Amino acid sequence: MAKGYRQAPGKGGDKKRTDGKRVAGQQDFGVPGSGGSNPHSNLQDLDYVPESVGGWKKQPRGPHVHDRHITGMTIGKSVPLVDSNWKITGQAQYGDDIRLPGELIGKILRSPHHYAKIRSIDVSAAEAMDGVFAVATGQDSVNKFGVLPVTKDEHAMAQDKVRHVGDLVACVCAIDEATAIEAMNAISVDYEVLPSIHDMEDGLKDSENPIHDRGKYHIGESNVQKRVFQQFGDLDGMKKAPYVHESDWETAGLHHGFTEPHAVVAHWDPSGRLTVWTPQQVPHYLHRGLSAVLDIPMHQINVHRTFVGGGFGGKSDPFPHEMCAAILARKSGRPVRINFDREEVYWINRGRHPSRIQMGVFADDEGRIAGIETDALIDGGAFASFGHVTTYYNGVLHTAPYEIGGFNYTGARVWTNKPASGAMRGHGAVNSRCAVEVGIDAVSEQMNVDPMTFRLANLLPPHSRTITGFRVTSTGMRECLAKVREQSGWDEKFRNLPLGKGIGVGCGFFISGSGLPIHWDPENFPHATVHLQCDMDGGVTVHTGAADIGQGSDTAVAQAVSEVLALPLDMIRIRSKESDTAPVDLGSYSSRVTFMNCNAAIKAACELRDKVLKAAWEITGYNPDVLVLGDRRIYYKHDPAVGVSWLEAVHKAQADVGSLIASGAYRTPPMGGVHKGAAAGLAPAYSFSAYVAEVDVDVETGFVKITKAWAAHDCGKALNPLAVKGQIIGSCHMGMGQVLSEEMKYGRDGHLMNPDLLDYKIMSVHEMPDVVPIIVESNDPEGPFGAKEAGEGPLLPILPAVCNAIYDAIGIRIDELPVTPDRLHKRIEKHCRKIGIDDPLDLPVPRFEAGPLQQKLAERADAHAKRDHLRDIQEDRSSYVNGVLFGFDPDKPMAEQKEGWREAVIPTAEDLADPSKRAARAWGHVERRHRGDD
Amino acid sequence: MLPGAGKETWDAVVNEENQEHLIESNAILLDVLRDQAGTLGVKRGCDMGTCGCCAVLVDGEPRLSCLCLAKETQGTKITTVEGLADGHHLHPIQQCFAEAGGSQCGFCTPGFLVVSAALLDENPEPSREEIKCAIEGNLCRCTGYQQIVDAVEMAASMKREGTTSPDPTDPKSDPHPLGPDDPSLPPGSSK
Repeated sequence: MAKGYRQAPGKGGDKKRTDGKRVAGQQDFGVPGSGGSNPHSNLQDLDYVPESVGGWKKQPRGPHVHDRHITGMTIGKSVPLVDSNWKITGQAQYGDDIRLPGELIGKILRSPHHYAKIRSIDVSAAEAMDGVFAVATGQDSVNKFGVLPVTKDEHAMAQDKVRHVGDLVACVCAIDEATAIEAMNAISVDYEVLPSIHDMEDGLKDSENPIHDRGKYHIGESNVQKRVFQQFGDLDGMKKAPYVHESDWETAGLHHGFTEPHAVVAHWDPSGRLTVWTPQQVPHYLHRGLSAVLDIPMHQINVHRTFVGGGFGGKSDPFPHEMCAAILARKSGRPVRINFDREEVYWINRGRHPSRIQMGVFADDEGRIAGIETDALIDGGAFASFGHVTTYYNGVLHTAPYEIGGFNYTGARVWTNKPASGAMRGHGAVNSRCAVEVGIDAVSEQMNVDPMTFRLANLLPPHSRTITGFRVTSTGMRECLAKVREQSGWDEKFRNLPLGKGIGVGCGFFISGSGLPIHWDPENFPHATVHLQCDMDGGVTVHTGAADIGQGSDTAVAQAVSEVLALPLDMIRIRSKESDTAPVDLGSYSSRVTFMNCNAAIKAACELRDKVLKAAWEITGYNPDVLVLGDRRIYYKHDPAVGVSWLEAVHKAQADVGSLIASGAYRTPPMGGVHKGAAAGLAPAYSFSAYVAEVDVDVETGFVKITKAWAAHDCGKALNPLAVKGQIIGSCHMGMGQVLSEEMKYGRDGHLMNPDLLDYKIMSVHEMPDVVPIIVESNDPEGPFGAKEAGEGPLLPILPAVCNAIYDAIGIRIDELPVTPDRLHKRIEKHCRKIGIDDPLDLPVPRFEAGPLQQKLAERADAHAKRDHLRDIQEDRSSYVNGVLFGFDPDKPMAEQKEGWREAVIPTAEDLADPSKRAARAWGHVERRHRGDD
Repeated sequence: MLPGAGKETWDAVVNEENQEHLIESNAILLDVLRDQAGTLGVKRGCDMGTCGCCAVLVDGEPRLSCLCLAKETQGTKITTVEGLADGHHLHPIQQCFAEAGGSQCGFCTPGFLVVSAALLDENPEPSREEIKCAIEGNLCRCTGYQQIVDAVEMAASMKREGTTSPDPTDPKSDPHPLGPDDPSLPPGSSK
């Protein structure tokens, strides 16, 4: 056919394909119709098209299933965030910027006591005040909620008792803030103060008044909220290992420190529906929570996510103040806005758990990691929040990136009368990862092996399984280590720097999306859904529920659609804010958005593309198999002059089918083991990272300055390198804060002493060292265009890298975070006394002399590098499970091959025998339902 | 806010617009700007001068509006983030923040922007160290500052070269250059 659809080519391209053929699409064509900021159709950018489909983009790890969807538009290019112009002009509306006509200001009365029974509340004086429209207490909402369906233990306001200072007691709304504050102060509450607990070890004991009562599921009479036990592998072999490093860590609680305080606006519209505007990472869980608390169906609620001024996990719970705003708006009949001051932000918390972690790292004569033994007690504060998952993550995320002989984990989370801990960037994995990596540094020193070499000789290969059954697909761990080693000048610097100067390495491993979401059902409800709609104008509107919290998820989804459809980004419009228009999405947590939403977006875009290609087929007469998409054009592969503009094809498609819409969904493949807790830590892909940090330690004052960091992160494929680098540097910033200065300080009476940004020390621009972000692309087989996460994993390695660098500088092993000058100064003094020197300037510095194992491990690392490459390019498709390094056959069950191989999730009395282990004590209690006394 | 404060008239030029409001005599500038002057781009992060999100320019000087009584700024010229762009032409610092990744969640961005804009007015060729000193009062939790400093450096050179940002509302292209016979028009348009 092709009648009259030959477009006149402009200037020809001079680019050639790798196979020498003429490059399709390398001719400049005129105006492609409406849309886009460029009047001309751009040439296909072959630098970004993979070799496997004829471009020039090198693929050292082989082709990817999404290669054929790449059109060279935006994937792999640094593009500004699609919403950045809203932010830089001040027009982005955050929670507190939503101003509705007739709004009232809500204020929350908070508990002044750590733990108390509420005998009575008298709100009559407040209600009688002029300008006060509504007052609500716990009696106005008796339904429970919580982010995890299994541990719902929160109410909008206290029911019978308050559980921490700052717990919500009542709320008021009034004509202005001053009146609301006055009314709040007019509420009188009669408390009966109860003895409170603040030390997490007290939470392990039986109590007369446990902070929560879980009925028959309550663990003893204690405050243990969750306990976990997992034993895998050859633990006898582990215990016999000659090289052992045991440590006992104390890490402080942390707050996310996002700059935007929480704020919420609730409004019941004239038709009786509720709209809540809130900066939420996980609008869907709030949607469910509101429905449960207010007793109204979900379809009567519209959750409107505003711009989010930083989340980092701290805005991922459904919050009681969001319920309060809705309750007040319902009672008063007017829109209600509640915005927090900075102190309230700390009362609601949900930050990193204060932890006590006992860590044992074992290595055998062959230089293999014989096992990792962890006992982690974490302080959950007053509510469960994400704690169920955190308790698992403290252990199960140690099972990679190394191949280990045994894994022995006991974890427990307790309630205490503190603001609740929850999820924070690097959820649950950060503190214990630091302990593991410091342990690895220490055992490699015992063996006289370079810690880089030790790590390189013990890595799990791509396409393998961890000891507990996690499926590792791609891994760029080896490349990360190699890159930081080379760029930091590791081989010259390690153990060669003078006193006070040090260099250290650390690695990280993190999930890229939670394999089993928090709310899932047996029918395999999709994790992410994306709808596309295309109209006469040729632009595409994307409906997704992915919550952009500044990480750039809108941009990533827009890029995925733009890439497949070969449209410039300004023709893609993202609608991700309202639950009314967005398909259900499980939100921005567990680093799931890029992986899951972009996969859904690719599917949707392919469906839309195929409809448009069908129309182009009818116009040009060429089968879609030989048609390709270039910038706003669809043309014959072998003669780019034969083609149609995108708009023309879209119009034809609409004329044929009426409406041009498409939808895509993503769900994880079936995977994982069957043991209790097998789902925790399960992910469709994992990210890997390795950092090297250099520090200056002032041995006389204990002041540590990080001078430079090299940060290599395997994100699979950098969809937007600018954003990935931003995530890496930003993660470093947060991790460096945790290792050097950030902590939530509690006074002797348990009171939080620093609920403000003056005393809660976030690094300023002066403390922040130069970070060299290094992107490693391992091309994940299931990731969108090969991508994995880059938001949380990059935080993990910086902590151990700094701790190991401090050891390199002054010979002292860190086991307490943050490493503030006062803490380190005490450690230096103690160390000096122990080794009998007076002047810390005489401290001996650790030096390295390669032992007999060094050569052997270097050779093994080289051999493994070859093994990994063959597995990467799928030339070696043999199965590989953790244990092959120890001589196991991957195709037979481990238990058949080794006597004494353990796979247990319930401890025996013997496992709990060591009285020094803390979390193990949680297992000393018997659940009420198993006591037989009811 | 202390109760019982008297009301008084406050006038100032906010983003080149004369504004006059009846304010409490002890009102904080941040509250007046957000609640009365309508410049919601000025952000409230901490209310105690620690985060820098509320920074504005008062007669060209960076000030933290949360630590400033509104009456102190009586009769001054106040520039907030909304006043940086010239119509749709972004200020170089705005454009560079977007292009260099200086803005992630964007909440601290207005503060950084006005402070950096003041720096560039004063010092057209700042060193990285000078940039750091200028933004030391601003906290950013997302970027780790590196891309912010990059952005200010970029903006400085853009400003020195006199490059202006394009107007994003300029016509992109003639969508139908061939007139009513353009095949890209919806079918039937030519009649």
